[in-house]
Amino acid sequence: MWLWDVVYGFFAHLFSPSNPLWLYYPLCAVVAVVYKATKFDQPRKIAYQALHFFASVSLGMLALALVFYIISLLL
Amino acid sequence: MTARSERDRSPFAALVLGWILPGAGHAYAGRWGKAVLFFSLITALLVAGLVIGRGTVILVRAPQEGGELRLWYAAQLCAGGPAIALTPISQYIATRDGVDWADPLHEMGTLYTAVAGFLNLLVMMDAYTRIAYPGRLGEQPQEEGA
Repeated sequence: MWLWDVVYGFFAHLFSPSNPLWLYYPLCAVVAVVYKATKFDQPRKIAYQALHFFASVSLGMLALALVFYIISLLL
Repeated sequence: MTARSERDRSPFAALVLGWILPGAGHAYAGRWGKAVLFFSLITALLVAGLVIGRGTVILVRAPQEGGELRLWYAAQLCAGGPAIALTPISQYIATRDGVDWADPLHEMGTLYTAVAGFLNLLVMMDAYTRIAYPGRLGEQPQEEGA
């Protein structure tokens, strides 16, 4: 239950309207499309690779932030 | 466009054109789809950054008396023509309204415009290498008369 409250609090803070951190997502999406469009030529492959890049970076950073947040609460 | 004229294209010209207008290097290389994609995304990122930062993010100098040079501008300048065109507007708004340096939205807007510059650098290098090294990405250079 404690862990659930921590995780819920983390995401509630992250996506609260007063917190501009969500603005990193459109930025990451544009970086993904431009970066992959310089590496690939077929539109389908660009879309797939950009989506993969966006998901990897976003979810990876979220997971890392959550781990650090929990560690900071334990210290 | 004949094969000979494709070979005669200069990679350096693609680099310079790509700086003047994002995506123009790819248009010069005959890749209009990518040119439109890069121009739209990089310009949108610049404009979005300017809007998010309330118009005060593309600054050569801080607007105060004797304001110091902003290192961010070096990154923003990589976006070329659109960044240069937006600089006086941003400098005017910053001088008129002042800049809230502690505002997180100002920081985010600055980041957007700087990333737009870095992305254009990547796009310029891509346009250069596509002409200089046509065999890259598995593309075959067109044969004479093909």
